[in-house]
Amino acid sequence: MVAIEVPEVNYTEYTNRQLVAIPLAVLVLALAIIGGWYLVTGAPANLGLEFTGGVELRIADDGSNVEQQIETAFDREPDSVRSIPADSVYVVTFRAADEDPGGLAEDLSTQADEAGLTTTAIDQVSPSFASDTARTAIFGVALAFLGMSVLVFALFRTFVPSLAVVASAFSDLAVPVAVMNLLGIKMTLGTIAALLMIIGYSVDSDILLNNSVLRQTGEFYESVSRAMRTGVTMTLTSMAAMIVMAIVAALFGVDLLRNIGIILSVGLCADLMNTYLLNVSLLRWYKFEGVKR
Amino acid sequence: MLEPIKNNWRILLLVVVVLGATVALFAPQFGPQTPPGGNVSEAQQGVTNLQYGLDLAGGTRVRAPLVGYTATEVDFGGDQAPDVAEAVAAELSDTSTVEVTAVPEENAVEVTDTSVTESEFRSAMDASGYAYDDVRSGVTQETRDVAERIIQDKIDQTGLSGGTVQQVQSLTGEYFILVEVPGEDRSSVIDLLEDRGTVAIDIAYPGGNGTEIQENVLTQDDFEDLGSAAQAERGTGAYVPVTVQNTAPEGEQSPAHSFQQAVADRGFASAYNGPGDQCDYSENPDDVSNPCLLLTVDGEVVNSFGMDPDLADSMASGTWATDGGFRLTTGEFSEAERISINLRAGALPAELDISGQGTSRSISATQGENYKTYSLVTGILAVFAVAGMVFLRYREPAVALPMIVTALAEVYALLGFAALLSYPLELAVIAGFIAVVGTGVDDLVIIADEVMSEGEVNSKKVFNSRFRRAFWVIGAAAATTIIAMSPLMVLSLGDLSGFAIFTILGVLIGVLITRPAYGDILRRLLTVR
Repeated sequence: MVAIEVPEVNYTEYTNRQLVAIPLAVLVLALAIIGGWYLVTGAPANLGLEFTGGVELRIADDGSNVEQQIETAFDREPDSVRSIPADSVYVVTFRAADEDPGGLAEDLSTQADEAGLTTTAIDQVSPSFASDTARTAIFGVALAFLGMSVLVFALFRTFVPSLAVVASAFSDLAVPVAVMNLLGIKMTLGTIAALLMIIGYSVDSDILLNNSVLRQTGEFYESVSRAMRTGVTMTLTSMAAMIVMAIVAALFGVDLLRNIGIILSVGLCADLMNTYLLNVSLLRWYKFEGVKR
Repeated sequence: MLEPIKNNWRILLLVVVVLGATVALFAPQFGPQTPPGGNVSEAQQGVTNLQYGLDLAGGTRVRAPLVGYTATEVDFGGDQAPDVAEAVAAELSDTSTVEVTAVPEENAVEVTDTSVTESEFRSAMDASGYAYDDVRSGVTQETRDVAERIIQDKIDQTGLSGGTVQQVQSLTGEYFILVEVPGEDRSSVIDLLEDRGTVAIDIAYPGGNGTEIQENVLTQDDFEDLGSAAQAERGTGAYVPVTVQNTAPEGEQSPAHSFQQAVADRGFASAYNGPGDQCDYSENPDDVSNPCLLLTVDGEVVNSFGMDPDLADSMASGTWATDGGFRLTTGEFSEAERISINLRAGALPAELDISGQGTSRSISATQGENYKTYSLVTGILAVFAVAGMVFLRYREPAVALPMIVTALAEVYALLGFAALLSYPLELAVIAGFIAVVGTGVDDLVIIADEVMSEGEVNSKKVFNSRFRRAFWVIGAAAATTIIAMSPLMVLSLGDLSGFAIFTILGVLIGVLITRPAYGDILRRLLTVR
């Protein structure tokens, strides 16, 4: 029978500098991608309908060459047309027009009706509302991150270990955003929820590690490997759930669940790296050198 | 006798919660409330008491602001509200007094004419001479309340069950009206919102064979102003002021004059001589003893009124039409509010800007049904994935099986909560459930590893100390999740508040009920041998 054995890592072979190098390089790369995106597109990520405004139609695929009909049905070019075979629908997205944002949804749904297409869902978001949502979302993520940081500092009451948790949580957020950009996943409300979820999820294994090293008896490496056995199992089970959710939801075209699944999978991956490389080396520095000062 | 209960109270608590959830999910008493006129089987969706939201049941949600500008902290200088409104309206070209309202309770003056710009309104306020603090976009609280009531009325009248209206505020302080109607598509909901009925006033009078009716004495276009409900200055009554147009093109009779003529012809002046003379239309509509004014909406009589002797006399003598105003009086303020809404016949006091600044979401019933199936499949597969991982890791059914059962109990308890609160399930809530399974199992892994570490668990004491140690981590992790999710709960980010609420609820149920119970189960399984 196959079994999952959490490998024992021999940390003594590596210096702190070596351990920190990888997660820092990844973080810098992620930030560079996000920054580059901002410079080129004017936004740190590909913004979805909810943050740009526009109209999304789900059109039933009744088998009669719907894709071609979609191309001719509307008086404006769709920004994207996606086919979801499992649900027999096409998802057609239109960005909000700058010149005349009003009436877009009505126009498009009438045009779809006239072309004989069956619309199963219409989403309309106005540009002014979208920019409001974007501000609210950024505010929400910032507030959640701040709240988490304060709580972590209150729990451990020591600077370096708390900083280690907060730093790895920050990287856990930055990496998925960069990966989203590269994979072409758009930032939607679902991904915002996933990012907040990462703040909650990823801190778990960091807290476990800090707790094991700082609050329990035992030698440093023994504490780390004990926490690691539990922590890696935790992260892998969560990841399994999220990967399955992402795949199934993508097949069925349930975008909200798919996006949450992908972001969390990537975030948890980043968390494995950050916890057991970045956090461990900061803790080791604190335990062996920091305390003595 | 009490000893077993005391030793296993955590497990018992979990059993009680699961039983409670079962009751909440399946007992008909906890079923959704049946709307008046609807039947039970219609309100209940499926075998459980769960309510499905827009995503899973189909329907339309529209969220849009009411258009207008409001001057705040206006100093009325002792003037009556209608005078203030009239003075401001006079400074705006092409804007009638109907579209300018002064609200003394809020010290505010608002304009709901969509063609008026903010700067035009500012200069009109300046020109009117009333001091004010600032002009903001949006309308007054009173107007929003009236709009909300009118929309709710419209939804109720169409017999659509489960339609809701509420006011929501964005982060920037702007107010939106949020309308949700299950089972209807976008265009029919927007039609419903924009639809207005026809209001008319008829006269019922005693004829040879019982009641006779003179129809459409006043119609919608004849009104110059329809006021909102007001408390009478003297006594306990309330009234709605209305003004009838008293000007007409050359050679034609103005609506006020023809109304006056009709009232005089039907003998109101001779019928109403004192407080004892009342309209009895509501008691015997087929055989009235006095003439009555009937307010009709779409041909249906909704209210009936007698007439004050002084007013009847002034109409008979032909002096009333120069002013053209009268009051529809009634005993109760709430009744006056109802009359005022009837008079508007479904017209909102300000325009709902759906296409410009609004958002809408509409999902067909079949799409909703599909989403329901898909999310169920997704959830089940996610649970299987977790279960598989747990079995692979522990390879010991005694540890892994209770873990999965406990995690499922957690979701089951959450579903019970959703049924109890009648909280409509949305895709976002389902995502919350899956997130709960993820965090729940995480914590159970922490408990299992901690308890089984450092060799055999041979006494209750050893077990308890290890369990407590594990619980510190779980508590800390739960606290961070709750903190991270709480902004979503209050910020207006659409569906995501449901996601946050159920994630937080799940974490709380987990920490307080299911995880301690798992600890007890594990203790029994590990220490007994």
